[in-house]
Amino acid sequence: MTIAVAACGGGATGGSGSTQTGSDIVIGEALAATGQDAKEGGLTKQGVQIWVDWVNNVQHGITVNGVKHKVQVLFEDDGSKPDQSATLDQKLLTEDKAQFLLGPYGSSATATAAVIAEKNQVPMVEGEGASAAIFNKGYQWTFGTISPASLYLKGVLDMADGLSPKPSKVAVLSADDSFSLDVTRAVEQYAPTKGFQIVFDQKYPNGTTNLSGLVSQAKSTNPDMVLNSGHLAEAVAINKAAKQLDLNAKLFAFTVGPSTPDFVSSLGNDANYVISPSQWTPAVKYKPQFFYSVQEYVAAYRRLFHAQDEPDYHVAGGTSAGLALERAIENAGSTDPDKVRTALTRLNVTTFFGTLAFNGQGQNDKKPMVVEQIQNGKHVTIYPLDVANAKIQYPAAPWSQR
Amino acid sequence: MNWGEQIVLGLLLGGVYVAVGLGFSLVWGVLNIVNLAYGAMVMVGGYLTWLLFVHGGIDPFVGLPIDVVVLFGIGYALQYVVINRVVRAPFLYTFLITFGLDLIIVNALLLVFKPDFRSVTTWYSGAAFAVGPVLVPYIRLWSLLAAWALAAVMWWILNRTRTGDAIQAVGADRDAAQLVGISLRRTYALTFGLGAACAGVAGALIATFQAITPTAGEPYTLQAFVVVILGGLGRVSATVVGGMMFGLVEVLAQSAPHLGAGYQNAIAFGVLVLVLLLRPQGLLGRTL
Repeated sequence: MTIAVAACGGGATGGSGSTQTGSDIVIGEALAATGQDAKEGGLTKQGVQIWVDWVNNVQHGITVNGVKHKVQVLFEDDGSKPDQSATLDQKLLTEDKAQFLLGPYGSSATATAAVIAEKNQVPMVEGEGASAAIFNKGYQWTFGTISPASLYLKGVLDMADGLSPKPSKVAVLSADDSFSLDVTRAVEQYAPTKGFQIVFDQKYPNGTTNLSGLVSQAKSTNPDMVLNSGHLAEAVAINKAAKQLDLNAKLFAFTVGPSTPDFVSSLGNDANYVISPSQWTPAVKYKPQFFYSVQEYVAAYRRLFHAQDEPDYHVAGGTSAGLALERAIENAGSTDPDKVRTALTRLNVTTFFGTLAFNGQGQNDKKPMVVEQIQNGKHVTIYPLDVANAKIQYPAAPWSQR
Repeated sequence: MNWGEQIVLGLLLGGVYVAVGLGFSLVWGVLNIVNLAYGAMVMVGGYLTWLLFVHGGIDPFVGLPIDVVVLFGIGYALQYVVINRVVRAPFLYTFLITFGLDLIIVNALLLVFKPDFRSVTTWYSGAAFAVGPVLVPYIRLWSLLAAWALAAVMWWILNRTRTGDAIQAVGADRDAAQLVGISLRRTYALTFGLGAACAGVAGALIATFQAITPTAGEPYTLQAFVVVILGGLGRVSATVVGGMMFGLVEVLAQSAPHLGAGYQNAIAFGVLVLVLLLRPQGLLGRTL
């Protein structure tokens, strides 16, 4: 199913003030609007739209050698199918003459899209794929703004290391997609070095929604800490099963899910105490060198989407990809793909999202993860301590006393 | 490993598969339609339950009759207006049309409900009682009982009412059924409506233990297929056995020694292949 969703931003080319206005910079992005990743795809799109709104309506364009160019992002719906992301990206480049690509949602889709960027020698910046599988193939044209998968639960383990009593027995339940396995492998290597003992370690097929059998197995090992490397639907299923089967760990952490509003609305009070790593939260205190501050960013999100809630890290990730591309084009002083690619490799700039800089593989390992907890139905940031806006509630109350 | 709990959890999950399989089996057996929109209809049931729960404060189990009535209506109308036009056409046409319906229903749900994850979490949804070392979650037990009750009602309709006789007659020989005065259009629509009502119940049960999204029904079409093949086509009792067995196999496969949960699908479908080899008509199916 191919639906050209929207070309946002103005196509206006009229002159304004003293600065010249050049032709639009056309950017293509294949993104899930339907299928299992429709939710996250929609959030990513919002993030890109915040950036486009800023470039076109606040900045009046990206300045390239004194000439302002507005941006036009062409979206295509990949239907949450990674092979479609690649096909549509190719179409965007050849038929729609896109000059640059922004990445799709998810590691699998990003990995296939990266092949297209590589083949066509067009820079692709993405803020929604963190798996090592995207970056360990020696690609030269793909740049990821978010922290690598291996850092996802590292912050949680560092934080747990300082807790008293220490939750030393760890149960790991992991989905078997490349991103989740990256996260789990990192836990398997890092946890023992911090004195944690992994007492249960099981992989389940990606997308499994009946996990009560596994939760029952995990319970029989009596873990202090339950770590899930998976996705929103699995996080909800595990949390429900843990309550039903009275698995009372001191700490529950899920890689993906709790940071979205859906987790709290699906689970109500049962969502409390849950811990989750996050690429970004509105509590972070980075000093941006350009673009909005965190407060302004939240305000822009609420204004553009008539929302009351705060943007989550999927939204911010979408925005960050646009920012990296914008700054690289400006630094390159050109829209020539090769020059922009070189500028991306040298990029080092702090934004509301954190530092944007890429290592030799194109991955951003300069930006730390933060750790969130749900307290009374609200997301608060609890780690690292210098950005925390609340103290961790620990240990989690037994299910019977909630 | 608490094997007792694993077995109980498997049987409880089986209840959901019974509900999922009943409607699929009926429509397949009588209309010879493999309904690819079945999972989407399960989700319609799930969303209806969620709406009733969130906006009407109606308990998911109390709301079951509403699910049944609404989904029956939708199913009846779909068959009467759309599918009846191709029901005598080759198999591929009904395949195509139900595939199209699946796309339409899923995308309509996306438009109306957005891709947000929803779940029905009642005040008792985490409560359980202990039988020795085994914890039995109430909500899963009630799901199992609801599925069995649904199976009993379906059995009664099919075997003890004139409507059921008509449905069975059409399933056996539609031309002969027409000769004795049975309205094919009406009977087809009734059958599809009953199938949809079962999907509605299944969706309601599913919404209580997992998060639902417009696309979350997809795997249930496949699972319904497997349940029906395992148990055998055309009998309520066969679906009950197929559903219970599939639930049990799925949970036990998660704890297969030396293999790990990653193999659960391989094991579950391996059992299916084995059944097909040894008893192609299914465990309780009539001889082909």
